[in-house]
Amino acid sequence: MEKSKISLYQLFVLILLFELGSAILVPLASDAKQDAWLAILFGLAGGLFLFWVHYRLFLYYPELVPPLYMQKLLGKIAGTIVAFCYIIFFMYSAARVLRDFGEMLLTFAYLETPLFIVNALLMLVIIYAVSKGIEVVARTGELFFVFIYFLAIVGFILILFSGLIDINNLKPVLENGIFPVVRVVFTQTLYFPFGEAIVFTMIFPYIKKRNKVKKVGLFAMMLSGINLAITMAINIGVLGVDLTDRSQFPLLSTIQGIQVAEFLERLDVFFMISTVICIFFKVSIYFYAAVASTAVIFKIKEPSKLTYPMGMVILFMSVTIASSYAEHLKEGLVFITRYIHPLFLILIPILLLGIAFLKNRKKESPQ
Amino acid sequence: MKSKRILFILVFFVSTLFLSGCWSKKELTDLAIVAALGIDKNEQGRYVGTMQIINPGNVTGGMQGGGGSQGPPISIVTGSGDSIVELSRSTSRKLSRRLYYAHTNLIVISEELAKEESISAILDPLERDAQFRSTAIIVIAQGTKASNIVKVLTAIDKIPSNKVIKTLKITEKIWGENIAVSMQDAIKIIVSPGKELAVSGFRVNGDVDKGKTMENTHQTEPASLLFAGSLGLFKNGKLTQWVNGETARGSIFLLDKLSATTIGVDWEGKDEAISYELIRQKTKVSAKLDKGKPRVSIEVQAEGNIGETRVPLDFNNPHLLLKLEKEIEKEIKKEITMAIKIAQKNKSDIFGFGEALHRTNPKEWRKMAPKWNDVYFPEVKTDIVVDAFIRRTGLRNNPHKVNEK
Repeated sequence: MEKSKISLYQLFVLILLFELGSAILVPLASDAKQDAWLAILFGLAGGLFLFWVHYRLFLYYPELVPPLYMQKLLGKIAGTIVAFCYIIFFMYSAARVLRDFGEMLLTFAYLETPLFIVNALLMLVIIYAVSKGIEVVARTGELFFVFIYFLAIVGFILILFSGLIDINNLKPVLENGIFPVVRVVFTQTLYFPFGEAIVFTMIFPYIKKRNKVKKVGLFAMMLSGINLAITMAINIGVLGVDLTDRSQFPLLSTIQGIQVAEFLERLDVFFMISTVICIFFKVSIYFYAAVASTAVIFKIKEPSKLTYPMGMVILFMSVTIASSYAEHLKEGLVFITRYIHPLFLILIPILLLGIAFLKNRKKESPQ
Repeated sequence: MKSKRILFILVFFVSTLFLSGCWSKKELTDLAIVAALGIDKNEQGRYVGTMQIINPGNVTGGMQGGGGSQGPPISIVTGSGDSIVELSRSTSRKLSRRLYYAHTNLIVISEELAKEESISAILDPLERDAQFRSTAIIVIAQGTKASNIVKVLTAIDKIPSNKVIKTLKITEKIWGENIAVSMQDAIKIIVSPGKELAVSGFRVNGDVDKGKTMENTHQTEPASLLFAGSLGLFKNGKLTQWVNGETARGSIFLLDKLSATTIGVDWEGKDEAISYELIRQKTKVSAKLDKGKPRVSIEVQAEGNIGETRVPLDFNNPHLLLKLEKEIEKEIKKEITMAIKIAQKNKSDIFGFGEALHRTNPKEWRKMAPKWNDVYFPEVKTDIVVDAFIRRTGLRNNPHKVNEK
């Protein structure tokens, strides 16, 4: 895996697919009611800042992956412990996204299939892809990216021509002031999905043209944020606030409403294909980050050998983390975003950047 | 090398088990495709569901030639239960197949049931189910049981549920006293505090028992016929009143759902002397607060042609057309005023004035919302401005004159 080389375009595609990932599936920021799109855009602004933090850290240690510079910054033992926590965090996140995928299929299409089977089928593909290295995942991403955008644009046009969007559903803007929106930003959208871009710190060292990482990364984040905001605005425009909030998968309900010219209808498969693809990449990237970190910490020469055992752990974890979908959501939206995400996505990176700044103060500036 | 080949073959065979997609397969011959679902309540207070099941072998044939036999294109199965899911499952004792709801596009609810309890209880299982489409159309069985609407055979559209839906959609387009409301729209309106539901009724005339036989479709004039009824006004999810004719059309005008209709205009003492064929219209509703009281302004823009005249008028004269436009505007305004009066008397805001106020004055709306229908809505003052245009008069300008000798 160490020999991989990622082009800037591949990085762009990976970030975009990763950010859309499971965020496009759920009623993102629905607590902000009709201002969900605003909450997403504010979350994006925070996410861009966090991305800049990761990027600065990368500039201090352009050759090293995070577990190694953590050991340099925090000392051998403390750095290893923190890096190890990140491995668990990445694996848990991968399991969560995999569970999202399984729940989506089970709720909507495969009512009688066990969750384990559905998850196992996707996980096997992911294990195979990651065992071949991140370059393979990135090249797959290039292929599917075009496909996803084609689906998205066709879907958007069809929704538009169905005359489903009622712009009045988005009014009044900021009904209860800015406070509820800001609350949603700090309890949800800042971390999920934008803060999660931290996994890309594992990929930065493999990029060919390092001087353009910032530009491409920020651009990909912005595009994904705008896409999510538009998607959520359309969902609310079509379904209204109440229905969006009550839907397990609002985008699915929106697409089900499409009826153009008496024969273009029941396009649920649009939703299915795009979420399966996006989730494949999200789980793959989390999984890759976990595997690569483990290989670095424990000095394993052939990381691809780790993929099968670790993949099995993620698969079993995805089935056992919650007994019901409601529990799964509660865990993800309340516990994780309140206690785990702020620590792993904000505090530790900023702390690391602070230490890096102090340690490198006397040397010349990283640029 | 050899072990690798064995492993490959093993994986190959194992994956066929998973990839065939046969986990919970249902053969087409095991499915009963439900086209329409009628829901009544019996004397014991249990729900009774009547499912219109498509009999595929008998739908084709006739015009397309060959294949189809002479039997009816649909078959009816009923089930009862304390809940919708229960009644649906209980039908399995009478049916050799599994009910399949993915193609259900019509839900018929009996008038009695809609008056007695909120229809949201019925809509919940339908909305929750993954098979059921939220685009299914809702109608109320007016003056009859829901089962009767589902049972009657129809001649031109072989599947009765299609006939009901197409009738509603077409009459909405060219006559405008009925609307086709989808399940999703209905739920959206029920949950909104600033809007109430209005759903079309569907009626059946003649002898339903005769309507159930194939003879009904073999006559030029069916013994029993399904037709669109009045517009049912709801309050808190319960049916409270039916409105007809021009009042119903005024309501559809206000909902901005009307696309074409014909309006009769009086001229010089002669009733309905001129027919105005509306071809498009746009209604804008906006609300504001006037000294703390909600005030709604309604702007209607209508465009159309002259379709018929029974008085000798000079249609070459644009000034006359302007005068006529004034009369048309008066007529439209009258219909809208009638609709508003009925709704206000009924204390149910089917036009969404509350939602309009919510958009412009969110703060004040929050105080009014809990008592909107009962206290504020009946007192709402409205300003109606109608702009009607006569664009053309058809292939002739002046009407022909009978030469009276």
